[in-house]
Amino acid sequence: MKKVAIVGIGHGKFGIRSDASLRELIFEAVKACLDDAGLSLKEVDSMVTGVAGDEFSFGIQPSAQVHDYIGFYPKPNFRVEGACATGSVALRTGWMNIVSGLADIVLVVGVEKMTEVPTSVATEIMGRAGDAIWEYPFGTTFPGYYAMIANAHMAAYGTTEEQLAMVAVKNHYYGSLNPYAQMQKEVTLEKAMTSFTVAYPLKLFDCSLITDGAAAVLLASEEKAKALSKKPVWLAGLGCATDAMRLGDRKSMTSLEASREAAKAAYKMAGIGPSDINVATVHDCFTIAEIVAYEDLGFCEKGEGGRLIEAKETYVGGRIPVNVDGGLKSKGHPLGATGVSMAVEISKQLRGEAGPRQVKNAQIGLTHNVGGSGQISLVHIFRRE
Amino acid sequence: MEFKNFSLFINQTKVNRFAEDLANGKITSTVCKHCGTQYYPPRADCSSCMQSEMEWKELPTQGNLLTFTRIHVPPEHFAVRQPLMPFSSVQFEPCPIGIIEVGKGLPIMGWIPKMDIKKIKVGMRMKASPFVLPDGKITIVLEPV
Ligand SMILES: CC(C)(COP(=O)(O)OP(=O)(O)OC[C@H]1O[C@@H](n2cnc3c(N)ncnc32)[C@H](O)[C@@H]1OP(=O)(O)O)[C@@H](O)C(=O)NCCC(=O)NCCS
Ligand SMILES: [Zn+2]
Repeated sequence: MKKVAIVGIGHGKFGIRSDASLRELIFEAVKACLDDAGLSLKEVDSMVTGVAGDEFSFGIQPSAQVHDYIGFYPKPNFRVEGACATGSVALRTGWMNIVSGLADIVLVVGVEKMTEVPTSVATEIMGRAGDAIWEYPFGTTFPGYYAMIANAHMAAYGTTEEQLAMVAVKNHYYGSLNPYAQMQKEVTLEKAMTSFTVAYPLKLFDCSLITDGAAAVLLASEEKAKALSKKPVWLAGLGCATDAMRLGDRKSMTSLEASREAAKAAYKMAGIGPSDINVATVHDCFTIAEIVAYEDLGFCEKGEGGRLIEAKETYVGGRIPVNVDGGLKSKGHPLGATGVSMAVEISKQLRGEAGPRQVKNAQIGLTHNVGGSGQISLVHIFRRE
Repeated sequence: MEFKNFSLFINQTKVNRFAEDLANGKITSTVCKHCGTQYYPPRADCSSCMQSEMEWKELPTQGNLLTFTRIHVPPEHFAVRQPLMPFSSVQFEPCPIGIIEVGKGLPIMGWIPKMDIKKIKVGMRMKASPFVLPDGKITIVLEPV
């Protein structure tokens, strides 16, 4: 199979960006990405745009807003979608473009503009990412789905609310060191534990944020990457898998089968295992999701996720540093941008450019991005060499 | 009985008899005539053998609780929108929800109106029954047995 590398990265400021529209957010990320690669749009063959919600972008074909505003037409650009995993679906699609021989240089962008609507509306839009016919009539929301996973995990393995809060403490700590993060402030265990309940047992600090933001990466074929970049980051393994729509129909309620399958495929393609990973960004849309991800990715045994964070093994210096960019929890979670933002962060780590969050001599990194309550999951493995 | 009385948004489906059965006090599933696979929620088409001849069958109503939650930040559709009465306060007390398994691969979701969240435990035995709401909508409730 052809080799593909990331040769440029761009990240806009995440947050409540009441100063900017969707297309303006994209411009920031694309500009930064092209500057990083030292290229102009003229040299780019095609583009993939990740946007999760039509309701957030106020219309179908949000990709047109993007190629119009950055002046990319008449070259190919279309939108892909996979709920909260949209950004990784976009990256995978960009990779396919190059592997297939259709293009040599592909721009992958992800964006979401979520705060134009009030929280209750955003909650409804996201809640319908479950089963709109058979679950939504019971008032389900995104926090609600993960709260049900949390209660099942706590009952099966003795995972505690404190352990959930410890994930928030870690991710807020790293968010405070990330200038692109929405919430650059630390939180104490006590504050996290006493915040209000969003969906029992998940509290405010167990939830990711509602965020506006964009990120972009430039992909290149092996030949172009070697010619263009001093520090290419190679896409070494990709996995994508799906699962049943409704929680009740899943094989397990304490793991995400789609993540297990995606991880298996990605590890196999890269020819490595979980213990080879030096740094990872995982889908911590809720604190319980990070604990389940440790287990699904093989960073610890099933049921041991709570103890892994308690032992601080996922901090820099621990066995496997996870979400040292602040994660969705503190960096923010603009649905379509998240997967691309994860690839940007891992690229920084492998290029040795992560500043105070740098994992020493990181050679192999992993991203894990889940859509909906686990209906789709993508795992990508990146290497320096 | 329109299906929308159960589903809120979607009204056009091949399984709208489900809402009628619910109104008549029965929680029903479909069973594939070719391979015998049983589906809840009911489906018009069988994904096991790709055939579409199904028959309706009432479900057992008792099972163990797989999981539960109580949602405090509701979606727009369920948000309390009426303006508050002057000099009054309205305490929003959301109702827990849960999923029970009444047979292998047969999970029923429902409201748990009569229980304190702290007393709800994964694994507890519960019973599902149809429930007509004051506005004529129809839903499912779970209670301990
Ligand atoms: C939890 C949630 C409902 C809170 O939203 P909200 O009630 O509108 O909160 P507000 O915007 O009014 O913010 C109130 C305060 O809490 C803070 N806050 C909001 N969300 C927060 C979060 N998730 N974690 C920590 N603090 C948060 C705000 O910064 C604000 O602080 P301030 O008063 O110091 O300025 C919302 O963040 C949410 O739904 N998160 C989940 C998003 C989701 O489901 N994503 C998809 C997952 S795949
Ligand atoms: Zn069949």
